[in-house]
Amino acid sequence: MSGIVLVADDDDDILLLVTTRLKRDGFEVVAARNGIEAVSLAEEHRPVVAVLDVGMPGLDGLEVLAAIRGIDSLKDTRVLLLTAKAQESDVRRGYEAGADAYVKKPFSPAELAARVRELYDASTD
Amino acid sequence: MTVRAYLAVGLALTGLYFAFPAGGTAQTAIYTALGTSAAVALLSVRRGPWVLLGLGIASFAIGDLLSVYHPAHVMDAFYLAGYPLLTGGLLWLLLRSANRNRWAAVADAGVVLFAFAIFQWLYVLAGSIHSGFVLAAYPTMDIVLLGGFAGFFVSPAWRTPSFRFLLGAVALQLVADEVYNGSSYGSGMWLDALWMASYVLWGAAALHPSRDALTRTRQMPALRVSFGRIALLATALLTVPVAIVAEELGSDKPGGPYVIAVFGAAIALLVVARLTGILRALEAIRRRERQARSAAEEANERLLEADRMKDEFVALISHDLRTPLTSIIGYVELALDDVGPALDEERRGYLQVVARSSERLLRIVDDLLFVARLRAGNLAIDRARLDLCSVAAQSVEEARPRAERKHLALSFLGSGPVFVDADRGRIFQLLDNLVTNAIKFTPEGGRVDVRVLTSGASAVLEVSDTGIGIGADTERVFDRFFRTPVAVAQQVEGTGLGLYIARAIAEAHGGEISATNREHGGTTFRIELPVDAGEEELVA
Repeated sequence: MSGIVLVADDDDDILLLVTTRLKRDGFEVVAARNGIEAVSLAEEHRPVVAVLDVGMPGLDGLEVLAAIRGIDSLKDTRVLLLTAKAQESDVRRGYEAGADAYVKKPFSPAELAARVRELYDASTD
Repeated sequence: MTVRAYLAVGLALTGLYFAFPAGGTAQTAIYTALGTSAAVALLSVRRGPWVLLGLGIASFAIGDLLSVYHPAHVMDAFYLAGYPLLTGGLLWLLLRSANRNRWAAVADAGVVLFAFAIFQWLYVLAGSIHSGFVLAAYPTMDIVLLGGFAGFFVSPAWRTPSFRFLLGAVALQLVADEVYNGSSYGSGMWLDALWMASYVLWGAAALHPSRDALTRTRQMPALRVSFGRIALLATALLTVPVAIVAEELGSDKPGGPYVIAVFGAAIALLVVARLTGILRALEAIRRRERQARSAAEEANERLLEADRMKDEFVALISHDLRTPLTSIIGYVELALDDVGPALDEERRGYLQVVARSSERLLRIVDDLLFVARLRAGNLAIDRARLDLCSVAAQSVEEARPRAERKHLALSFLGSGPVFVDADRGRIFQLLDNLVTNAIKFTPEGGRVDVRVLTSGASAVLEVSDTGIGIGADTERVFDRFFRTPVAVAQQVEGTGLGLYIARAIAEAHGGEISATNREHGGTTFRIELPVDAGEEELVA
């Protein structure tokens, strides 16, 4: 497994924000602008952590998560979901779908980076 | 089909009756057959009122048969028993079917009954009463029968074929009886045709499928002041004066009663006219009331719809505002980050203002979203056992920097743990709302105290301040968008949602919230939540 973090968000500004913050923390980042791209990049790079926006058009974050969980080579990838929905029920759905962590928008980039660091460290221990 | 065949055969037999010798066996057979068939048809309906009608006609039929072989008094007994049975059946039908206007129907029947009784008395009974009880009884029974029938005119809903057959049957019976009362009768007379036709119609009424409509309970249309009804009542009112006039005209010396009767009639007509006017006015008022009510209901419906649309709009907008806020808050943080390129102090100050404003905007958006969800009934409460003291302590610590910026003393008193079954996020939100409010409304140098304690079966949380107070609005402060006049006058920023949300959260947990003014200025907010019963080591 590489030391790569995959970030997927259809909003270019958020994508750049997360990518920049994670790169500052020393992560190697691959960025996807939609769900389909996210799945193919995940297969290609086998990331340690995947940060997925739930509300993407086409293949959404939960569907990308399901796809990742269905690929044997990605069984160790930790998944963090990002969503603008603040409902508790959405959080529950995310965990039920196999997510490892959940961060609600708007988020503090530093806090997000810290969560990614936790998942990364837990995975590479 | 059955009804038509029955009618055809019945009327044919009625005609055939006159082909046979008067008073002979053939005539008796036809007469009795018609009566019996009607009785059987009525009894076969097997419902209370119809059975009574059937028994009445059966009683007549037995009377017919006995008239040939037995003494007259036995025959009279059966004939006279038939009338109350028929009247009872008709009234039963009426009371069972007309649920709302049944007593109006009975009153109408009474009016007709008394009016008919007067004429019956004057022209039939008064003469025959001296001739014996039986002779007087027949015209009396006609009054009873007519009275029973009059109630049926209460509503057009009754105008079914079965009803028309009943109407015909009773009418023929009454006409025949009246002619009989006023003349000498012999068997085989044309009068028999009326009685026999009456039997056929009784039977037809029972056989017609529409008879069920007469037995079914129905919601009668509201009584209206129709001209037909007024005419009927007026006619009844005029009976007495008309009778007196008729009597007087027949006498040798028309006098006082004549004049009284004429004026009496005039007064009666005027009273009816006046009552009609009053009733019609009442009816118009009722109609206008109904219209006004339905207009108000419609307006209310539109308001509710507008309110719902507004809530949906707020939810949608609040949600969409969160996405750009994510960028603003995130990039400002990135810009202020020590890891990136260095900033001069002036620019750092500018960005800190942007950061604070964004946080404030986010708070407003979150409040609006919360309220929209609450009003849509989507407030989710994820309960778990938690220590109110630790949540309160955390809330106080998070608020401390803000309190210190305003030089406020912020204290927390609580020797917990005090356990409640609650949603940690919501309880924190409630506390944060109250503490933030207290800091916001307390002038520099003041103090804010947060306490957690238990009182009986309640966990109590108090937030007191030495702020500007809430005046008389201790209840209204919890209303949506309400802001105290002092807050508005002093231009303290806010949306008027914080306390509304606090109350919603407290109530969603089965708790209560209240506000009181403190003696020397300031406010105390007190929240009581049920203590989690699983815990025994509560500390007061």
